[in-house]
Order: sequence, then structure tokens, then C-alpha cells
Amino acid sequence: MPNDWKSYKPLLLPAIKDLHEISVYEKNNGYQALRKILKDRAMWSPQNVINEVKTANIRGRGGAGFNAGLKWSFMPEPDGKPRYLACNGDESEPGTFKDRKIFEFNPHLFIEGAIIAAYAMQIDVIYVYIRGEYRPFVKMLQRAIDQAYEKGYLGKKVLGSDFSVEMYTHMGAGAYICGEESSLMESLEGKRGYPRVKPPFPAQRGLWGRPTTINNIETLANVPLVMDKGADWYLKIGPDTHPGPVLYGISGHLKRPGVYEYPAGMNIMTLINEVAGGIREGKKLKALIPGGSSTPPLRADMLEGVSMDANSLRDAGSMMGTAGMVVLDEDTDMVDLIWRISYFYDHESCGQCTPCRDGTGWLEKTLRKIKNGDGELRDLDLLLAICHRMEGRTICALADAAAWPVRYSIDRFRDEFERKCKKTVYAVA
Amino acid sequence: MPEIFIDHKRYEFEQPGKVLQFMLDNGMDLPFFCYHPSLSIPANCRQCIVKAGMPVFDRDRGTFKLDEKGERIIRFFPKLMTACSLDLADGMVVYTHHTDELVKQAQADNLEFILINHPLDCPICDQAGECPLQILTYKYGPEGSRFEHKKVHKPKAIQLGPRVILDAERCINCTRCVRFTDEISKTHQLTIISRGDKNYPMTANDQVFDDPYSLNTVDICPVGALTSADFRFKARVWEMNQTPGIDISNGKGCSTWVWTRDNLVMRITPRFNEAVNDHWMPDSGRLSYRTFNENRISKPWLRPDNKEQVRTTWNNAELTLREELDKVESSQILVIGSPHASVEDNYTFKKYFESLGVTDFYYLPHVVPGAGDDLLLSDDQAPNTLGVRALGYSEIAGDKLPKIVTSAKPKLVFILDDDILDRSDLTSSHLEDAFTVYWGTNHNGTSLAANLVIPITTAVEHAASYINVDGRIQRTVPAKETLYTNRRLNLEMSMGRLDHYGTKFDNWVTDANRIDCIPAWEFITRLNPGSDTFAWESSRQILAEIGGKLNIFRGVTYEQMDEENGIQLNLEQDSEVNTV
Amino acid sequence: MSGTKTFDEKDLAEIEKLTKKYPEKQAAVLPVLWYAQDKFGHVDPSVQKLVAETMDLPEAHVYGVVTFYTQFYEKPMGKHVLDVCTCLSCQVCGGYDILNYLEDKLGIMAGETTPDGEFSIQSVECLGACGYAPMLQVTNDKYVNYLTYEKIDKLIDDLKSGKQPGFESNKMPQHENGTE
Ligand SMILES: Cc1cc2nc3c(=O)[nH]c(=O)nc-3n(C[C@H](O)[C@H](O)[C@H](O)COP(=O)(O)O)c2cc1C
Ligand code: SF4
Ligand code: SF4
Ligand code: SF4
Ligand code: FES
Ligand code: FES
Repeated sequence: MPNDWKSYKPLLLPAIKDLHEISVYEKNNGYQALRKILKDRAMWSPQNVINEVKTANIRGRGGAGFNAGLKWSFMPEPDGKPRYLACNGDESEPGTFKDRKIFEFNPHLFIEGAIIAAYAMQIDVIYVYIRGEYRPFVKMLQRAIDQAYEKGYLGKKVLGSDFSVEMYTHMGAGAYICGEESSLMESLEGKRGYPRVKPPFPAQRGLWGRPTTINNIETLANVPLVMDKGADWYLKIGPDTHPGPVLYGISGHLKRPGVYEYPAGMNIMTLINEVAGGIREGKKLKALIPGGSSTPPLRADMLEGVSMDANSLRDAGSMMGTAGMVVLDEDTDMVDLIWRISYFYDHESCGQCTPCRDGTGWLEKTLRKIKNGDGELRDLDLLLAICHRMEGRTICALADAAAWPVRYSIDRFRDEFERKCKKTVYAVA
Repeated sequence: MPEIFIDHKRYEFEQPGKVLQFMLDNGMDLPFFCYHPSLSIPANCRQCIVKAGMPVFDRDRGTFKLDEKGERIIRFFPKLMTACSLDLADGMVVYTHHTDELVKQAQADNLEFILINHPLDCPICDQAGECPLQILTYKYGPEGSRFEHKKVHKPKAIQLGPRVILDAERCINCTRCVRFTDEISKTHQLTIISRGDKNYPMTANDQVFDDPYSLNTVDICPVGALTSADFRFKARVWEMNQTPGIDISNGKGCSTWVWTRDNLVMRITPRFNEAVNDHWMPDSGRLSYRTFNENRISKPWLRPDNKEQVRTTWNNAELTLREELDKVESSQILVIGSPHASVEDNYTFKKYFESLGVTDFYYLPHVVPGAGDDLLLSDDQAPNTLGVRALGYSEIAGDKLPKIVTSAKPKLVFILDDDILDRSDLTSSHLEDAFTVYWGTNHNGTSLAANLVIPITTAVEHAASYINVDGRIQRTVPAKETLYTNRRLNLEMSMGRLDHYGTKFDNWVTDANRIDCIPAWEFITRLNPGSDTFAWESSRQILAEIGGKLNIFRGVTYEQMDEENGIQLNLEQDSEVNTV
Repeated sequence: MSGTKTFDEKDLAEIEKLTKKYPEKQAAVLPVLWYAQDKFGHVDPSVQKLVAETMDLPEAHVYGVVTFYTQFYEKPMGKHVLDVCTCLSCQVCGGYDILNYLEDKLGIMAGETTPDGEFSIQSVECLGACGYAPMLQVTNDKYVNYLTYEKIDKLIDDLKSGKQPGFESNKMPQHENGTE
């Protein structure tokens, strides 16, 4: 737990007026990391950049928390043919609304990070996949990209070096699944967003069959910080195992919801009560969904001493996910809430594979039945059985994401579910 | 050699490949739906799930790590794996439902998921009896369903195209049909629409699924979602006999299954033949089944004194023919063989007239330029053009045929199974001065113009060989009885469930479906009683005789054709191609 | 909505530009569908056909894509499409109340269009504005946040009088004490 969060000065989204303008960004040390690398190519060979980022242990902010530098190191040796970086700005996991802040307030930080990533992996084309609903934000990013082209940070011979890279935005059109990395690639290729079977992994066969790396927007925005001030400096922010600044998107029954930037590993109760102003209308906290809708909900009594980092949340029985925290007050109807989450996954399942296509619908229908007061106690066990049968049996993790909230909320809020169920006359298995 | 352990048994593999295909190749069973050996692998049905792992390698020692018992330590993949997409790897260990409870449970679970939104209307479903979903549910499925909600409803009985009908509720979204039109026929006419449990395959809005190969999607659809508009509700699978055959409606000669019931061909489906048609065949070939049932020439027909044709007896036909032959010189006989008839028929036909002193033999090619494609349709519409040519018949163009007739002024014309009037400049008036004998299977313009018509067997009634456009010789097996053949006596004929177990009431009883016809060669033996030269008892014998005479056919046997799904011939030898 | 739809030269040049971003033209299908929807207001079958023909892609492919992505309108919609988020954070912050209010106000249910063709309402999934719940999106573009009944009334009046909502920038609360 960083001791002095109150004096923390945001690094990803510093409070600088008009930072989205390239001139302002440049004045505030912008594109210096890229310049530094391109100036001293002996010191900053692609391999060395990867090593530095790997050392910094930037854990993917898209949900899985995978070390970005390590992921980059999976890219095969260049063979002269195209290689791609796909930046994941799909941001569709309910409860998540942080990447848009980067597009709006500090797009150049992300652009610089993506350029450095491309340099490190010897990639020539970058696509930024942004959810279709973010149209105004796509425009903002596009404007920043245009500025970066003008200033020679993008395009042929970046800053006069022999390194060239193109960057394009690509707008989705309403499909949560396209945030899953292989679905994202299918969507970029102009297809229905069906996740691909892995292996092969994107680094082996990605976009158009070529090596590809996918990173979240926020993940890439961390890269210039690391390259500017060094991995050692970065590792001092937040916990050792989960370093760096994090954009906490806090929503729900709070006085001051919004996106906040603090080091990883913030104490959850601090975030709720001090940072976000506490629960509205003086109500009590009931539960927290810590990192987007797929992360298992935690009861208020489970939050004591838990902090927002991968290890602490794992021990508490949940996950960091996207750090999109949904804070729920005592009046929240958990059955309603979980039904709505199930409805979401049913709606968003791509329909490709059996356990997810039919399982998400089954969960939704059963939860709706319980929510409407027609449920029976045995339905709860059935729900758990369905979850069990969906998890780990599908092409992508959407099925798991759909199952976890159901499984864990029945586990953690069983009373509430039982109260909604009809009293059955026969024995419950 | 690399090895793999499946259910504790060791197997060796030579080629890289996928675990499911390897298991199928080695006769092991594993339930699956979406996998198809000739299509890409989406691994979407999740039915072929297995537990798999790799031995842990000790880099320092360069050997596999062993446990206390001296067994290799296996690191299992964290999740169950789909065998269809899992690459064979040296040392891999695989457990299926036979040895692993979790796998067994997972397979049943998956079927339960598939079935929750499945209508389960097997009693009125065409696929019943040959439905992988039905079969696998029996074998691997759950005991019952715990699904107590309304199923997702989707459109039913949608006519996707002229030949294919969709019941979207039965679809299990395996995407085989879409992959077929994307990867094989390349018409890209199908797509899956919508998402989640609401999705199903469709054509674009006002597009008709008229892909010339559309019916293949019906074959590969693992459920009754796609059915054949033609075959729909006509017969149940268990009532039919299934006999191997070849498609004689096109020069490509796809390997087929001929499905018969009560001596009618009910449908034709493709039979796997790697060298010719893989798992596919064109729709046109399937729909050609009607020619075996309808408009057949049954019993000889005679036109007395240029009046209407009337049925006659075999004896009378024989007698008339002999009389006509007695009237003419060999030079007054014109003989036209047929690219539509088999090697055996054309050979015996020619041999017979050679014995009468005839020296010139012709055939009219049946080529429609542009009718073919890059897949399984050739411009050549006849199944045996190369065969008739290899036997020494001369090709004659349709516009030259009238000249031959007018200059030679034949008194007697013999035409073997080919509607030449339809395809040439020859008209019935050219034949007015001659006595024309047509040996054929179906009534057509040419048969109607003939003075005498001899009914002969079709490819589904005799064993005979045909050489396709690529020079591959393949043969047929009788699938349908004639008046003179009997399923129980003819060892070559397949026996269906009803033959074995049926009562005499549900057996094949409609006599009208048994055509009064014989193979052309058999008629020739009848014309030459007591002759050693024409004393064949089976087409097998004839082929052996041909093999002794023509290098191309040397050593070619039915047995080898059966074993190897046809034999590629070297047509360069003996290649005296006669063209007029 | 009759008459054959076409792309004029300017459109074709624009489409050409979109296609250039990718190594394969098929990749441009989403951008081109967006372009077409901006132009025609929807991508109904006739527009899908136009896109397929213009891009030389199978029509079925375009159809499959259109039906996969919820933002593409398969049929003409109201002039203003109000996508009310009822997901997770919006749900717990009154998203359904907003939806119901809007339904009552406009006299239509979610999924329907007013008879005068002015408004369509849809209940949609999380739009990435969870901290500003409840919220809605106007015709695939601007977000209107922190919805109240009054705010809805005003929005409808504005839209009726031809006034589109502006972009609402949601400052980080952390920065509210002023920027450097
Ligand atoms: C169903 C599903 C939805 C996802 N949605 C997103 C998303 O909207 N944004 C995102 O960055 N990652 C998303 N992910 C995670 C991506 O697959 C991928 O792991 C991530 O973009 C990698 O970037 P990172 O390593 O920088 O986090 C999703 C994953 C799944 C399974
Ligand atoms: S798990 Fe669900 S979303 Fe993922 S591929 Fe399967 S059906 Fe599609
Ligand atoms: S598809 Fe198979 S399981 Fe389904 S109704 Fe038809 S026969 Fe029965
Ligand atoms: S119609 Fe048949 S082949 Fe096509 S996706 Fe459905 S089940 Fe598979
Ligand atoms: S056959 Fe393997 S997943 Fe369908
Ligand atoms: S839940 Fe409504 S915007 Fe995220």
C-alpha cells in the first residue's frame, strides 16, 4: 500500500491543461522517451527496450495482467514481412471506462508508447481498435495521430531514423467480444468477431496470418514512463508484484464516481471511502465488483485490508481485471444485478462454441426465473452446475467471464438468492 | 518414430496431424460435430474434448523426468483440449471418455448444452437414422435434460435455394455449411447471422442458395438443419439400401452412394474418393437419380411398318433383329457406340459387329463447352468418353454425322444408349431409309425414332466400368434389381436392413419398379447362342477379356478398382485416337 | 426509402482511402459500413448489397458482419436513436427508471420507433461511461450522462428543435481542484 497516496501526482493523466495537444505534450517531456531511444540505438536496441519493459513488469491493463515486455518477447525474429501491433481500445467490459480518458486527455502518451512498442518488436503497422460507441474519442485520437504524423513521430523514417511505422484507428461497431484479442483481430480483418482457437497464438499467427501483439491502451501508455525514467523507478510505484500507476474506474453508489489515477495496490476501502467520497446517501457498502463485470463480486466483509493488485485480490477471492470497480450499496438486489450481468454475457456471446452459446442463455433464463420469483432452490444448484460445465471448455474466456460472477455470487450471497426462490416441497439435492 | 499414448496405449505416428484425425484413422471413437477432414478447423462444437498432457523434459539430463515408479511425469494442459485442433506431439498423453471420468462427463455436458435449444423432433426429421447428434446423444449424452425454459425459436422450413431447406432450430452452429461455401465451392453464399444462441446460417437477403454444389451442405450438416428439398420426407434412412456407385451424369465420375428402396433410387450422395471427388459431388449428379427410375425402357419396343412403337417380347425382338441382319451386307451397317455406355457394353457391342464384318465404329462426344468448372464438373457430360475412345470407336462431330449417313446410305443402324438426335444435326428423316435399332436405358428422341428398341440396364443395375475425363477407370455395382436379377442371389448386390430383417410385407414388393431390361452384352450372348466368342457370364469376364487384348486395360480388375476406388490408366499407350 | 442507392465519386474516393489502411480490402468492411450508415442512415439489405458490390465482397459476408455488430442498423431507425444503458453500473444507478421514463414519455417500448419516425429507443449494454451513470447515447454519437428525468425532458426538447447534445467532457475528480 503506497503510504502517501494523497500526494501522488498522476503520471498517465497528469493535471496539465490541453495536454492532448502535441505542443503541450512535447513541452511536458512528451516524446522524449522515443527520442532517447532513437538517438542511442546502440544502447536501446529493440531487444534492450523489450528487456527494460519486461523488467518493469507492466502488467496488462486489459484484464489478464500479463507482463507486457514478456509478451513482446514472444514475437519471432523479423522476416522482412509485415508484423502488427493491435492496440486494444475496445473497452467494453461493464464497469470499465478508463481508456477513453487517455484518448481524451493524454492521447500522445499512448501514441508514444505504441511507437516504442512497435520499435521494440520491429513492427511496421499499428492498428488502434476502438469500440464503435466511442466515436467522439476516435476522433480525438485520430486528431492526435495526425499531429504525430505531422511532427514526424509516425510515418516513414521516424524522427529521421531508419525506423518507419504507420498508425491507423479502426472503429468497432458494437460487440463486446471484439475486446478479446483474437476476436479483435478477426474484426480488424473485416469479419464477424469470432475468437480464434489458440494455439496458434497471435505472436505466431495474428493479423492476416502475421506475427501480432495485442496490448491494452493503458498498458501502452505506461511504456513511455518506463522508457523515460527507467524500470527501476517504475518498479517503486505500487507493489513489487504489480507495479505502476493504475486508472481506477470507480462507479456505482458513490458520492464521487469517476476515473482516478493512483499507484496499483491502493487499499480498496480507501478508494471507496476517501478517494471516491464514500457511499451515497450515507448508505452502507454491500459488495464490490473489483475489476469489471467478470470479476467475482466480493462482500463488504471480505474487503478488509484488501488492495487493488493481482495478488491481494486473488487472495481475497477475486481478480484485478480492468480495475473498473463497481461499488454496491446495501440496497442492491444481488439477484437482479447478477441476472443483468448474465443478460449481458448472453447478449454478447459470439455464439461460436456450444457451452458458451447455450450456457449463457441458460444462466440468463434461470436467473430471470429466480428474479421474477418463480425460481426454486434447486435452480441454485443447477446454476452452479451450468457454470461448472462452461468454465474452461470454450474457445475464449467469455464463458468463464459469464460463469464467475454467477458462481461466486451464489456462493457469497446465497441467502439473498434463496430468499427469492419459492419454497420447494421436495427435497433439495 | 514419434509416439503418442492414447488411453494408455502406445501408437506411433509418421506425419504431423491432429489427434482426432489420428484417432479416427486408427479406428478409435471420439464424438465430434464440427470437424470435417476437408475443411478448416474451427473447434467450435467442443464435443471432441479430451484430457491431454506432455511429458516433462529434464533439460540437464536430456531425458524425460520420471516419478518414483519410474513413469514419465506428465504435465497436463490446464484445460480439456479439443482433439480436432490438437496437434500430435511426440510423447503426448491423451485420455478420452474411455479412461477419464471428467472427459466422459464433459462430453455428456456438452451434449446437454447442445440439446437445450434443440427441437428434438426426430420422428419428423429427415436426418433421423443418420444423425450424428442422435447417435452421439445415445452413446455419450446425458440421461435427461434439466432445461425447463422455453427454447429459443428460430425460423423453420426456409427454402434457402432450389435444393436446400433450412430448419434453423435444429442447427447446432457447427459452421460446416458456411465453411463449405467459403472453402470448397467458393460461392460464399452462406454466412452465420446474428450472435449467441440466436445465430443461424443464412444467405444474403435476396440471394438464392443456388450453389451448384449446395447439396453437399446437406450431407455434411451433422443434424437435420439442412435437408434436401428433393429428398425431404421421401424415405427414412433405415428403409434404404446403400450401394457404392459412380456418377454417370458427368465426365468426372464422382464416387457415389446409391440409395435404393423397393428398387427405386431415392437419392445419390457422394462417396469419399480422394483421387476424384474427396467428399463432394455436384448437385446435378445427385438429381440424376431420376433417370434410373423414370421414363425407363422396359421390354423391347417395335415399330411395325412405321406405325406407333409397341411393346414386344424379347423373342420377337431377337427374331426381328436377325431378320434385318440377314437382309443386309456388312457395309450397309452403321454402328454408333456411346460415351454414355460402359466399357463392357461398348466393347461387346463393337466385338459383335466386328464379327459381322463391320469395320467402322463411331461415337458422338457429349461435350458442352463452359459447362464444367474447376471443381467436379467437366465440360464432358458423358461418363465414358475416354473408354469408348480407347476401345477404338472414332469420334465424330455432330455436324458431320448427317454426311456419314447420307453418303454411306446404311440399311441398318445400331445406336448404343445415346440420344444422338438431340445432339447432332442428324434428324429422323436421315434415318428414314434405314432400319434403326436403339439399345438404350431411357426413352428419348432417338429411341422414339428407332424401329426396334432393346432395353438395357443402367449403371445402377449392372456391374460395369467407365473411364472418367482424367483417365481413371471406376466401376459400378448393381443397386437396383431388374426383372431378371435378385438381390439375394446376386452376391454383388448390397443387402439392407429390410433384406435381412424385414418381413415379406415391408420388403421390396413393387414389381413395376423392376425394369425388364438386360445388360447390352447379355443381349449379345442371346443373339449368339452356343458361340464361344460371345459366351460371357458376367461383366467381370468381359473386362478380363479386354485386358488381354488392349494394353490400356491390362491387369485391370474389379477387385483392384474396388480396393483402390478406381485405377488411374495410362491412356498414352495404344493411343490411336480415331477421328473422322 | 426507395430508389437504388449508390455511392458517388466522392464516396468512392473516401472508400478507397479507407481501404488503403489495410493489406486486404475485406478489412475495410466495418469502416465502409460505417461510412454507408452515415450516408444512408442505416445499412438495410439494399445498402449491404451496395457495400458488397462496391468492395467486391460476397453479399453474405457483409450480411453476416452487419448482424454481428449491434450498432449497424439493419433497417431504417428513428431520426434520433436513444441508446439507454441498463447494464451493471447504470442498472444500479437507475438506468431502467430512465428507460421506463423515456418509454412512457415517447409512448414506445425499447426496440421501437415513434410513429413520426423521430425517435427510436434501445436498451443497450455498457457504453463505457459507468462512472457517469445513468446515461444514454444519441444515435451512435454523443453521450448524455448523469441522467435525470429533467435532463431527459430537455434532451428530447433539444432534439426536437434540432439541437444535438454537445460532447460532455468528464474531468477526473482528482483534477477538479484545478489543473496546473
Ligand atoms: C471476453 C473478453 C473481452 C475482453 N475485452 C477487452 C477489452 O475490452 N479491452 C482490453 O484491453 N482487453 C480485453 N480483453 C483482454 C484481451 O483479450 C487481451 O488480453 C488484452 O487486450 C491484452 O492486453 P494487455 O496484455 O495489455 O492487457 C478481453 C478478453 C476477453 C476474454
Ligand atoms: S466462449 Fe463464447 S464468446 Fe468465446 S468463442 Fe465461445 S461462444 Fe464465442
Ligand atoms: S437433427 Fe437429429 S437429433 Fe435433431 S431432430 Fe433431427 S434426427 Fe433428431
Ligand atoms: S446448418 Fe448444419 S452445417 Fe450449417 S451450421 Fe447448422 S448444423 Fe452446421
Ligand atoms: S470436433 Fe472438435 S470442437 Fe468440434
Ligand atoms: S454500465 Fe452503463 S455505461 Fe457502463
